[in-house]
Amino acid sequence: MELTEALVTKKKEILSLWIERTLDSYAAPGFFKKSKDLFANPVGVNITNGLTVLLELLVNNAEQAAYSKPLDQVVRIRAVQEFTPSQAMAPFLELKWVVRQIFSGQKDTQSLLSMLDTLDFAIDRMALNAFDIFAECREQLYRNRIRELKSGSSILTDAGCPSKLVQQEKMDAGTII
Amino acid sequence: MAVVKVDKLARSVAEGPSLMTGSIPTKDWMDVPVVFKPGNYAYPTKPEKLRYLDSQQGVSFPNAREWNPEDEDWKLPDNWKEIIMQGLADRLDRFRSLKIFMDCCVRCGACADKCHFFLGTGDPKNMPVLRAELLRSVYRQDFTLAGKILGKLAGGREMTTGVLKEWFMYAYQCTECRRCSVFCPYGIDTAEITMMLRELLHLVGIGINWAMEPVANSNRTGNHMGLTPQAFKGNVDFLCEDIENLTGVKVNPTFNRKGAEVLFVTPSADVFAEPGIFTCMGYLLLFEAIGLDYTWSTYASEGGNFGLFTNNEMMKKLNAKMFAESKRLGVKWILGGECGHMWRVVHQYMDTMNGPADYLEVPRSPITGTVFENARATKMVHISEFTADLIKNGKLKFDKSRNAHIKATFHDSCNPARAMGLLEEPRYILDHVVDNWVEMPENTIREKTFCCGSGTALNTDEIMELRMRSGLPRANAVKHVHDKHGVNTLGCVCAIDRATLTSLMDYWVPGVQVAGLSELVGNALVIEGEQRQELTEGLRTLV
Repeated sequence: MELTEALVTKKKEILSLWIERTLDSYAAPGFFKKSKDLFANPVGVNITNGLTVLLELLVNNAEQAAYSKPLDQVVRIRAVQEFTPSQAMAPFLELKWVVRQIFSGQKDTQSLLSMLDTLDFAIDRMALNAFDIFAECREQLYRNRIRELKSGSSILTDAGCPSKLVQQEKMDAGTII
Repeated sequence: MAVVKVDKLARSVAEGPSLMTGSIPTKDWMDVPVVFKPGNYAYPTKPEKLRYLDSQQGVSFPNAREWNPEDEDWKLPDNWKEIIMQGLADRLDRFRSLKIFMDCCVRCGACADKCHFFLGTGDPKNMPVLRAELLRSVYRQDFTLAGKILGKLAGGREMTTGVLKEWFMYAYQCTECRRCSVFCPYGIDTAEITMMLRELLHLVGIGINWAMEPVANSNRTGNHMGLTPQAFKGNVDFLCEDIENLTGVKVNPTFNRKGAEVLFVTPSADVFAEPGIFTCMGYLLLFEAIGLDYTWSTYASEGGNFGLFTNNEMMKKLNAKMFAESKRLGVKWILGGECGHMWRVVHQYMDTMNGPADYLEVPRSPITGTVFENARATKMVHISEFTADLIKNGKLKFDKSRNAHIKATFHDSCNPARAMGLLEEPRYILDHVVDNWVEMPENTIREKTFCCGSGTALNTDEIMELRMRSGLPRANAVKHVHDKHGVNTLGCVCAIDRATLTSLMDYWVPGVQVAGLSELVGNALVIEGEQRQELTEGLRTLV
């Protein structure tokens, strides 16, 4: 069996294990796996949908540009959750292990285990793309923080209020503590 | 690039967690300690703010000190446990609702997957039932017979510093939005459990600065920002100049004017911060268009009441200033701007805390004659109710084409929606001021609306990541209508929303701006004698 053909045949199993392991990275993943409603379960459904599209793209040798949207769908979420950067990115690289796990379990695909270099390369490229998006997300977070700080609230607070100034003068003079 | 070590991963699968993804083995929730690290907690209250508040009449904020959530030692008073247990006993005695909420939960789980914090984090302690259990377990241990005898077997546990730290973590990962309560078959108001947790923590000097500094400022100068009367008036005057430049309409608001018919109170953010200032320009234009006899107050210069996020006494004190000012100025009734939690305080607590406001009259619109029977007790009318009534009676003229740049959706701000039932009026207004607006999916609007994720004084920048993940359910629904219908404006009626949804959109749905409804009203309003410039972005246009 050719690699591409094997990936197509085993797509469902690969996807299912990949999604399961990714969602297992949450402390209480039961609901994330179960609910299919995008609005009731944004984390579970967005990650499921994103990974589904990504695998489809890998199987079809799609152009790199096509990966950005589904990667963003997954990475943007994990970039603000309590993961280290490596944990946030791990699911993409873990696909290599998932594919090996599925292929090694069945006789017809075992022979392909030594021929996964091309797929590994495509997965690495996807992971690097994901890393770019991760960095972009984190930068956006800091831009948000700066924008909020610059909104001026800190300048207005405690500035220019006569009662505050009087209090400060008294404190400086040591009359109140 | 190193290929994943399959043997390690295989072993990790067999043993449960993944080495790569950081999944943790399932432990009993009581056995998982909280870990504080940058980004997952808001900064503690500055000691000087707490000392100032503790020196004020009617409130008590003891045990001010420097402390750091990341340190092992929180420098608690020696008798902290006694203080907490006595505080809990007092509250169980004073608040029957708390006692009922502690006893009646059957752990059916209906609330579990309804909380935006749980949905964004997957952390089981963010399930409302489990968040409440943080307190309930302590209650069971010491206040129920079963707990006293059986302890952990009856779901009880000792009050320890570990439990106290857990309270701090999760009482500040709840925005008291009350979405979970909508789904609870017993009507347990989990927000009130969070309120109790925060109250108890304040007894030992534990709180967050983003709540307490605005509280201290409101107590001192009348608004969150600590704006002086002069600065407050100056900012409104600036907005009036902008309005004149944009529309040719000269508006002349008055301040602290005795004998005005109506006192107008709105969040101070409307007066100084984008995008609230555009909402404020909308109010000013509306009042000018109908010739309302109203006044601003530079003392009751804040609609927001962070006392609600602090403790009962503080909430009562801050709420009282609006009513004291209405009495001092001799107005007939109060008109309230686009604020969120102010309306919860007014509708659910004001009358028993500071009522009856019998020196005011039942609000009656001087323009349409409509009597607002729903505000008979509080004497306070929401700007959206007021505006919708003006529209219904044909008192306003709109040119919707002035909002042609807007494709809107409407975010039901939690408190106006769930705490006062303001659901139809904003939609009625939208129908009349914009050509194009669409609803978000059914399970994300009206009573089931998702919180912005930053309410209850969690709108501080140091927890930006936390805010982004808790705001995901809201943003996810906006993204849907943005992708499907090209929505570019998220309308709302809350100042915290206006500030925090802006950051939320910048992260999750770039290209969507946030606008108060009154801004959209101001954009479309046709006023006699106006000389409006070509305002391609409405009141936001730079000229």
